[in-house]
Amino acid sequence: MTTITPRRRRLNLRGALTPWLFAFPAIVLFTAFLVIPIAYSIFLSFRGYQVEGGGAYGRRVEGFVGIDNYVGAITNPELLAGFGRVLIYGAIAIPTVLGLALLFALLLDAPKARLTGFSRTAIFVPYAVPGVIASLLWGFMYLPSTSPMSYIAREFGGSSFDFFGYPALYFSLANIALWSGVGFNMIIIYTSLRAIPSEIYEAARIDGASEMKIALRIKIPLVLPAIVLTGLFSVIGTLQLYSEPATLRPLASTISSTWVPLMAIYQEAFTNDNLGGAAAASVLLAGGTLVLSVVILRFFQRRTFGDAE
Amino acid sequence: MKTQRTAFNSTHGRRRVVLASLLVGGFALAGCSGAAGGPDSGGDVTLEFWTWSLKSADPRAQEIIDVYEAENPGVTIKLSEVGGTTETTSKLLAADRADDVPDVVQLEYRGIPAVVSAGAVRDITEDVADSRDSVADNIWELSSLGGQVYGVPQDIGPMMLTYRTDLFEQYGVEAPTTWAEYAAAAETIHAQDPSVSIASFSATQFEFFAAQAAQAGAEWWSTDGDSWEVGIDSEASLQTADYWQDLVDRGLVSVEPLLTPEWNAKVNSGKILSWAAAAWAPSVIYSVAPDTAGNWASVPLPQWDAGDPAVSFLGGSAYLIPEKSKNAEAAAKFAAWLGASDEGSELLLTLDMYPGGNAGREATLSNEPPRLMPEQTDFYERADEIIDNTTIPITWGPNVNVASSAFGDALNDAALNGKSFRDVYIATQKAVVADLEKSGYTVK
Repeated sequence: MTTITPRRRRLNLRGALTPWLFAFPAIVLFTAFLVIPIAYSIFLSFRGYQVEGGGAYGRRVEGFVGIDNYVGAITNPELLAGFGRVLIYGAIAIPTVLGLALLFALLLDAPKARLTGFSRTAIFVPYAVPGVIASLLWGFMYLPSTSPMSYIAREFGGSSFDFFGYPALYFSLANIALWSGVGFNMIIIYTSLRAIPSEIYEAARIDGASEMKIALRIKIPLVLPAIVLTGLFSVIGTLQLYSEPATLRPLASTISSTWVPLMAIYQEAFTNDNLGGAAAASVLLAGGTLVLSVVILRFFQRRTFGDAE
Repeated sequence: MKTQRTAFNSTHGRRRVVLASLLVGGFALAGCSGAAGGPDSGGDVTLEFWTWSLKSADPRAQEIIDVYEAENPGVTIKLSEVGGTTETTSKLLAADRADDVPDVVQLEYRGIPAVVSAGAVRDITEDVADSRDSVADNIWELSSLGGQVYGVPQDIGPMMLTYRTDLFEQYGVEAPTTWAEYAAAAETIHAQDPSVSIASFSATQFEFFAAQAAQAGAEWWSTDGDSWEVGIDSEASLQTADYWQDLVDRGLVSVEPLLTPEWNAKVNSGKILSWAAAAWAPSVIYSVAPDTAGNWASVPLPQWDAGDPAVSFLGGSAYLIPEKSKNAEAAAKFAAWLGASDEGSELLLTLDMYPGGNAGREATLSNEPPRLMPEQTDFYERADEIIDNTTIPITWGPNVNVASSAFGDALNDAALNGKSFRDVYIATQKAVVADLEKSGYTVK
């Protein structure tokens, strides 16, 4: 006993260290690029600039301002209005994107589908176009003087479309996101579809189920976890909508400089030189996103993932 | 469980983008200016110069730099373009906080108080004392606060209305000399062809609305001893709001931002006929509508009261020296040479700008008219007259950016949705006062 105990302890020590050693690079990166920035952001959210020494051109000095920034963010009507606009946008974009992604995935998975490789790539390709580029391309297609749609409408005696008016603007923006969103989400759902064992389909066909019935009764329930996942991605992506409206803003007077929450945060930080206020709003947005994600996952967990808590 | 973890990672990943752009941006910026040279005593210096007027890819700008470098052996000027006034301001403040700053920074006059109140730029009154006589006093005033000089003027914007001569003639209107005539001309033009407007109404032209209010006798910002006064909702200012409300309500101006593909197309096709701005407008219009050259002319800005030509300057910028520059003296010397000296300000004219220095202004008189209006041989004489009439000093507050974004968004909304323009001016007043008070300034 006495000779074994120290040996075992040494072994235990080495055994305890090994996982940390393997995790070390990840921990370093995680700390440097996630923990420290988040901690610094929370620190900044309690800081602000105050004039010192008085005078009309007194110097603004950084200092602790308590929860002023949070109060400012919560009571900022533009930030709240931005969440309202994101909500409307999301109500249009998310069901459309997910619906089309599911439809295309089911069509590609249908046994009679032809040219699936080509179609899959074609649907996925728009995802490779960066959001800013897509917004610029669509921006030109929306402006009355450069829009081919408006040109055709005028040639047939109509008038130009007002793509940047209300409520058309929401659809115009959703349309830009649609192209890349459908491709990305379709691939996730399609991959999930391919993982379903084919014996299930055979059994269903023997029982006389039509392809439509198989899609509705077997495929969709089985890929529900993938749909929930893509839905969660979409909700998060919607809350963080930025590049499309920010890119279109110089082209459209209907898009204000604080149109969505992230634009309001950007403006606070880089136009109004209020990093503290921007940090506070960011912390609130991140916290809200986290809570929303947990709620969505909890809600679907038992039903779709079959986890018994 | 696996799915859940993936989802959370993504949350963090996306959030990181937000945080990174907010926080790490400062570090990245600091890295950019790492190439700056040693202190003055070290002999050779490299001056990092943030400017959008002198582009490093522009051979004419490079020639100017070559002249200075040849005259001042050991000095190297490094040009970098970091964006316009708004971007430059935020980058300068970030660089200042990171203790790694450029040596010379170009900024529009309206951006100066924000960086002065942040303590980011140097008081160069002493450094430029020898150059005082090379620039007119009303121009030095643009880059001075409370009697101290913070920048060397580069260029100025005498206010002008630039319009299509051929189409004004076609619609039977004369160039307006008062704002009442401008409104009448707008009506005449629009009545003949509803698709044509005298101009676009762009709510983002904050500085123009401020200048026009100043022309009417309002002072948007002013200092009284140690406290600020804000006059955006003064009666004179609100009357200018009413003026535009009327034109917009009657549909006589098209509500749209400037210099978009849409605006450019309308200028090219003769649907937008004028732009009330400054002497720099012709080169901007030329850059988007070169085919219309020869059909334009510039006249003094319309007046509120006939016979009262007093206006303020619109736009233009100055060279500032960051407080933490290690080469401040060499930098101030270069800035004074480029903006104020006879040689420098004449060379600036080659960049199609209206120089602030006396010699550069003098040189404009023998210069060819802008490419947009080769026939208007008296262009620069008219501009010079306007400068003599530029007797309204404008004071900018330390929170112009706050005002300009609040104002632009609200005015756009009002113009598009038929809301009251007066309310926009009143709301902007409140936002500006609240922001000043929040920062700890005294407001009267």
